[in-house]
Amino acid sequence: MKRKSIKRILTYAFVILAGVWAIFPFYWALTTSFKSKVDVFKPLFIPFIQFEPTLENWINEAMLRGDVIILGLRNSIIASLTSATLCVILGGMAGYALARFRFEKWKNRDIIIWFFSLRFLPPIAVSIPFFLIFMNLGLIDNVVSLILAYTVFFIPFSTLVLRDIFKGIPVELEESALVDGCSRISIFRRITLPLAAPGLVAAFIICFALAWNEFLFALILTYRNATTIPVVIAGAEHSQGVDFWYICTRSIIAITPPVVLATIVQRWLVTGLTLGAVRGAR
Amino acid sequence: MSKEERAKYFFLLPAVVLILSFLIFPLIYSAYLSVTDWQIGKAPEIIGFSNYLKVFTDRRVHNALSFTLLFMVFTILIETPFALGVAVLSQLRFPGNTIFKVIFTAPFFTSPIALSYLSITIFYEEGGPLNNLLKLLFNIKIPWISNPDYAFLSLCLIDIWQWTPFLYIIFLAGLQSLPREPYEAATIDGASSFQAFRYITIPLLMPVILTGMLLKMIESLKVFDIIYALTGGGPGISTESYTMYIYKTGFRFFRLGYAASLSYILLIILMILFTVLAFRLRKVYYE
Repeated sequence: MKRKSIKRILTYAFVILAGVWAIFPFYWALTTSFKSKVDVFKPLFIPFIQFEPTLENWINEAMLRGDVIILGLRNSIIASLTSATLCVILGGMAGYALARFRFEKWKNRDIIIWFFSLRFLPPIAVSIPFFLIFMNLGLIDNVVSLILAYTVFFIPFSTLVLRDIFKGIPVELEESALVDGCSRISIFRRITLPLAAPGLVAAFIICFALAWNEFLFALILTYRNATTIPVVIAGAEHSQGVDFWYICTRSIIAITPPVVLATIVQRWLVTGLTLGAVRGAR
Repeated sequence: MSKEERAKYFFLLPAVVLILSFLIFPLIYSAYLSVTDWQIGKAPEIIGFSNYLKVFTDRRVHNALSFTLLFMVFTILIETPFALGVAVLSQLRFPGNTIFKVIFTAPFFTSPIALSYLSITIFYEEGGPLNNLLKLLFNIKIPWISNPDYAFLSLCLIDIWQWTPFLYIIFLAGLQSLPREPYEAATIDGASSFQAFRYITIPLLMPVILTGMLLKMIESLKVFDIIYALTGGGPGISTESYTMYIYKTGFRFFRLGYAASLSYILLIILMILFTVLAFRLRKVYYE
């Protein structure tokens, strides 16, 4: 009995430590953003008890660099929303094709592995041709170039996730509609899509988060008008040393949307990341 | 072509065509670049494979490759047991279990750039929270970013914070798919929970663990954002990853041809790793 309670205490201790470890940077960013400049460098961790929180940093940030941040947010939102939408539409179609049809010359399995292999392409390896191609197209510092880059980079992911979701929808429904004389496309629209809706939302949110956090392409393809939030953060630091308070406010702005959205859909992540290797390994 | 035939290509082709024109074509273009001596402000001239030969004698390539390799091995050796431990424990029922899962996976969705700049403040040497805490407890001060070894450690800590959740998600899914019977049999035979873990969970989960490690290895080779933001490859070139060196060659020194051939070497390394993975996948993924 006693051994059991020691074990339980150890378990709890480990779980709590892991939780603190995971949450500390968020906590630090949030509390520091509410510290006055005098308190920032002191070892103070608990608001209200150890230091008096203030809105000063947030107000300064909005007054001084509000327009740059709003521009960055606007670009981030446009690039992420559009590319995530395209990923879900085109990836959804491809995923449906791979879930429902048999391809002969290149087997379904081969096409799937081809899509999967693209997940491993390092962005840096295509950054130079991307830069030159978009320069020739006149799309440097234009959100369109980011949308294109993000869409092609994340389509493989959405295709794999959505294929798995379509696989989970019973074929019989579609077959009976096919017998009744519906066309493939209207079946897809009227029967399959509504049933797959939760999965589509999940794939959309994950693609949104991936695009929102992307940095390298935004760094090389934009410089003023099309900069996204990560580039705004990276560019601001050099102005005058390390401004703890502004780093914290901006980080919170950058971190919040994808973290909040993506924690809702974590159970769909595994498929896209591992291609069912986990489930299949039973 | 029958109607059914047409439909299947109608669904598949848009994605494939987009990928071919905006991903595969750039790669082919980059293969051409890699055999030229193109620099900005100079017409490209085909010079054959001498870029690739230069790679073998470039000391910065050796430095970058050994940093990347060390980074990959070091992080994976810590992340794997950490993620496995947390995954096994969060299988147990305790109050707040669901909230714990959400908290522990949140780092994975955090913007690496925001995280790295936050880390600059956290690792700050004079008055950063970490050094403040260490000073309070042990009265020591650690040069987290300005010393090469500690800079390496700082980068590893960030990577561990961000990528342990990735392995955790995978291991958790693996654990949930394990059969119940061996555990029931072990309980009847009076095995302790540690013995069950050691002799049932580990062997059964091994394929999942290896796959997870392989996936993370491939991701480690792509590490860029945190290095760009936290150390910029420094102090000196001590934390310059291979990707960072490609970036500098292409976008700071403007030697596009050489950068393209460096990229191709990375692609070859990744292709080898991926082939190992694809071989495993083809076996489990039979259709």
